[in-house]
Amino acid sequence: MTPDAGPREAALRVTNLHKAFGSLDVLRGVSLAAHEHDVIAVMGASGSGKSTLLRCINLLDIPDAGEVHVGGELIHMGFDRRGQRTPADPRQVDRIRTRLGMVFQRFNLWSHMTVLQNIVEAPIRVLGVPRRRAMEQADHLLRKVGLYDKRDDFPAYLSGGQEQRAAIARALAMEPEVLLLDEPTSALDPELVGEVLKVIDDLAAEGRTMLIVTHEIGFARAVSSRTIFLHQGMVSEQGPSRQVLDEPRSERFRQFLSGGDWGRSALTTPSQSGENESP
Amino acid sequence: MDLAIVWESLPRLLEGAVLTLEITFVSLLAGLCLAVPVAIARLSHRRILWMPAYGYMLYFRGTPLLVQLFLVYYGSGQFQPLLDQAGVWFLFREAYFCAVLTLTLNTAAYTAEILRGAIIAVPRGEIEAARSVGMSGLLLYRRIILPKAFRLALPAYTNEAVFLLQATSLVSIITLLDLTGVARIIVARSFEPYKLYIAAGLIYLVITYTFVLVSRRLELRLSGHRREQPVGGVGSASGR
Repeated sequence: MTPDAGPREAALRVTNLHKAFGSLDVLRGVSLAAHEHDVIAVMGASGSGKSTLLRCINLLDIPDAGEVHVGGELIHMGFDRRGQRTPADPRQVDRIRTRLGMVFQRFNLWSHMTVLQNIVEAPIRVLGVPRRRAMEQADHLLRKVGLYDKRDDFPAYLSGGQEQRAAIARALAMEPEVLLLDEPTSALDPELVGEVLKVIDDLAAEGRTMLIVTHEIGFARAVSSRTIFLHQGMVSEQGPSRQVLDEPRSERFRQFLSGGDWGRSALTTPSQSGENESP
Repeated sequence: MDLAIVWESLPRLLEGAVLTLEITFVSLLAGLCLAVPVAIARLSHRRILWMPAYGYMLYFRGTPLLVQLFLVYYGSGQFQPLLDQAGVWFLFREAYFCAVLTLTLNTAAYTAEILRGAIIAVPRGEIEAARSVGMSGLLLYRRIILPKAFRLALPAYTNEAVFLLQATSLVSIITLLDLTGVARIIVARSFEPYKLYIAAGLIYLVITYTFVLVSRRLELRLSGHRREQPVGGVGSASGR
């Protein structure tokens, strides 16, 4: 396979990724490519491997098989003495991770640092950006996510929505080529979801390349260019979001979109569109 | 009750207390410096790192401090030629050095265990967040894991500092004139054990509670990140 020979490298290319936890096969051969400015929504029932897919891309989990290319650069894998698959060059992994921003479901802000310190930490310590420039950039990002007045607060004093916006600013401070968002609104109270989705929507409008694991169907339809539906560790449907989300081919995906997967079907009448278009 | 003997002895008791404090602080500081690498080694997956750390901690936590003190102070004499050759015999001749060395090794073992627990308790997600921006190895420890672990360890570490302060009284047995040592000598001459040991005990008590107060202060200052602490009227728009 020589897709790398093309004139424009995919910003992110995942090929035939496998991952098992013990006897549980979580990913069973997932491939996808994100080109620059692509916004890809990854959907699937819980346990379908969505989060694991993101975590395997930046090697927070080590895939059992398969390749990850970031901007055309292959992450080299080898084996340790016990025969476990492991990155061949840990420094390459560190370097690649600086190019992949990660936003976690539970924010994971460093609780002993203020919002501002959270944002400038990695640019200064990892990228070697001069402190003053890092601070200026952080202020700019904080205004963008609407947290400038919270810059000197510790994360414990923020609401969930504010924490997640701070976490997004922290990821953006690294100027990543691709942003990976792992269910960025799933840990939020319903009334706080909107403020975070708004920020992500702005990023999409800027042309950021993003891979978003999300359950927000309306949001996916409005923001993502493509949608991938994972089922039992494999890509079961993919295509342009509007097309895939409006006319799901498989019964499984149709059920998922109508909320059946969440057990809501028993409570509400399943409908074809599932949720309303985001504002 | 005639307390004249206590007032007379007070200057010498306080001199002893100064030595007690000195030994305590030197050992605490050296012990902390040693405990950090030991704790990290203990948590390593590499056998060559965790096994020596484990053995060290097992020995110093598993045997009485007095035995360790005797071993270093009296035992080193058996290795005099060897220590002479290494050019360190002049150190082992000094009771002060033997005391500080033993207390350092002892407190480092306990502190390493405290730190080990604290490092394990650092939220996994915060470590993953650091990894996801390219931090690893020493940088990750220095900036994220250890600052968090120290905060988590502070209450237990205060206990260890108090324990060490009191354990320094053992050094009087190897001829050092610390607070306990001074008290023993005066008692031997005056036959007034009651008054003098109570006086010495009160001085230990004052030092201990100063430790605890300072530590509490420090804890409050370092826990600006914790929501439970009442920090002057910070209103938080909490959604959780």
